[in-house]
Amino acid sequence: MSDDRSDKKVLIVEGLVKTYQNSPTPAVNGLNFSILEGDVFGLLGPNGAGKTTTISIMTTLMKPTGGKVSIFGFDVENNPVQVKEAIGLVPQDIALYVGLTARENLRFFGHMYGLKGSYLEIRVSECLDFVGLTASADQRVGTFSGGMKRRANLAAGILHKPRLIFLDEPTVGIDPQSRSMLLERLIHLREEGVTMVYTTHYMEEAQTLCSSIAIMDEGRIIMQGPPSELIEKNPECRNLEDLFIKLTGKHLRD
Amino acid sequence: MFKLFAAAKKELLLLRRDVAGLLVLFVMPAILVVVVTLVQENVSKTIGDSALNVLLIDHDKKFVGLTIEKELLASRLINVNKNDTLVKSDIGQARDAVAGGKYQFCIVIPEGMTDSLNNRVLDTVKQSFSKKTQGKHKEDTKNEAEKLIVYADPALREGIRRSIVNFLEKILLSIELEEKMVTLTRIFPEEIQKKYKEKIGPHWPMDLEKIDIPISLQWSRQSFLGVEEIIATGETLKAFPSTMQQNIPAWTIFGMFFIVVPLGGSLIRERQSGTLARLLAMPVSPFTILSGKIIAYLIICLIQFFLILIVGKTLLPMLGTPVLHMGPSVSGIILITLCSALAACGYGILIGTLARTYEQASMFGAVSVVIAAALGGIMVPVYAMPKLMQDISFFSPLSWGLTGYITLFVRGGGLLSVIREISLLLGFFIATTFCAWFTLFYREKIST
Repeated sequence: MSDDRSDKKVLIVEGLVKTYQNSPTPAVNGLNFSILEGDVFGLLGPNGAGKTTTISIMTTLMKPTGGKVSIFGFDVENNPVQVKEAIGLVPQDIALYVGLTARENLRFFGHMYGLKGSYLEIRVSECLDFVGLTASADQRVGTFSGGMKRRANLAAGILHKPRLIFLDEPTVGIDPQSRSMLLERLIHLREEGVTMVYTTHYMEEAQTLCSSIAIMDEGRIIMQGPPSELIEKNPECRNLEDLFIKLTGKHLRD
Repeated sequence: MFKLFAAAKKELLLLRRDVAGLLVLFVMPAILVVVVTLVQENVSKTIGDSALNVLLIDHDKKFVGLTIEKELLASRLINVNKNDTLVKSDIGQARDAVAGGKYQFCIVIPEGMTDSLNNRVLDTVKQSFSKKTQGKHKEDTKNEAEKLIVYADPALREGIRRSIVNFLEKILLSIELEEKMVTLTRIFPEEIQKKYKEKIGPHWPMDLEKIDIPISLQWSRQSFLGVEEIIATGETLKAFPSTMQQNIPAWTIFGMFFIVVPLGGSLIRERQSGTLARLLAMPVSPFTILSGKIIAYLIICLIQFFLILIVGKTLLPMLGTPVLHMGPSVSGIILITLCSALAACGYGILIGTLARTYEQASMFGAVSVVIAAALGGIMVPVYAMPKLMQDISFFSPLSWGLTGYITLFVRGGGLLSVIREISLLLGFFIATTFCAWFTLFYREKIST
């Protein structure tokens, strides 16, 4: 399967470096990886490892200090508009207007993606249905539970049918039922062939969902590959969580 | 373009949901206008304690002119300029200088005022010894008083204008009295001698106590000198403006600029909630995002202005104030309102960009607007401020907006007369919006 897709790299990261102002060490230090079409790529790491910075650069929100990122053949620095049209972002925050209903939020973000008229209305309804919010579509997001907000957050990121979705800890802080539902929806997207870049602190999620992972620490990738292969290479680790602790240590990160 | 409308529509929808916020935006400025206008209605008529710039043009150059000049110079409340070579030779230019706010007053002492006063006083005093006028008020043959012309800036508070006119009338009265007494003192011995000669004639000695000398000091109460007030704008205005025309635009601009708090706050909320990041990851330009906000809040400002006009036209007159007159230039009012609202929006966007938290934005935004209002002449007229503050006041956008409205409402100016203010407000809007755009979408992207 991977051989057939080897020429379909949708995202290529080469020598990516980001150093924040007044910071002595880089937040991201020479990242190299690529993602094939249909992959779900897990970017794992403890707090401060550089995951969100990497996602910010890949989604055009931040300029890198060095290196290059290309998405569907477009350089993110030089062709940000083409990149933005092709990607979807589900940020770590609930990036929705709490004063608007779920439908109004989706309608607004749909407009921003250039969707209009009946197609927009159809897509809004489909996405609300996809995340199980049809019944609550006309309630204000401010009245939603944490799980409902997370689902609405996902719906806003897939409205325009992006070919590549960046999901930054999309299941953080919600109950198991909502988490399970969200994972189920993401698996459905994977089955539809949507490529995803996924960050999470829940190792079992990554193990279930991701076709390939990279474990980051202190701005560098310390190991990458399919989760099953990585666990196999480390027989003392029962699962991905054991491997993660082995690689990144037990000391607390602030 | 439809993305821009969608962005503006979203802002309006969010505002509509925030009923308390909307009440603050619409009702508070209206309450402010009503309260302050009513409070200042009497206060502004009675207060007048600032150093005013007065242009003095003395065509008389004799006793009356010199005495007025001496009295004005002796007053600490008035800065007398009698050497403005640009305007002193031409009354029209002097009038324009007052209308333009360079001087608050121009006092013109007509040629021959002293001679006229002398002649009329002499006639009056002589008539005092005349038998024909015995026991009657003698009317001056020349009915009208010799007028001192005072051109007044229509933007001047009524209390201050009246104080100056009263002050001038007092000076003229004292001059007239002094002249009458001097003349009487001079004439009295001659007339007495003449009357004694007439009565005594060749019969000597005679009982002097029985001689009746006819003298009447019951002079006409009509003054020989007076003050004529003229609005410096000439024919454009028929009457001096009311306090309404000065207070309503002032507090309207103040209310308009208070949208910096909700506007800045909405931008901070978008930054903090991550919606701005989400928007920036979409194929939509930063210009569209900012413009959507500006359009929505611009509409709010215009509705606010419209509501305040309704208050000024209908509610306040019902509470006993004069009706608001807005001058002849509708296009001028529209443009000044639009540009003031844009300036307020630009400032709000900038605050929303620079502040890190909502608390910072609300505190800094509100306090900075109050400071700019104080500097801009909203609370105390600029001409009543100390010189240093007058110089600083130029940098307040509220001062530009207020000057524009005063020019249109009070001075009866047209669109061309407020081009400077429109340009300044537009420039401020462009500069603040550019700074916000640079900070939000360029600097942060690179340096964070």
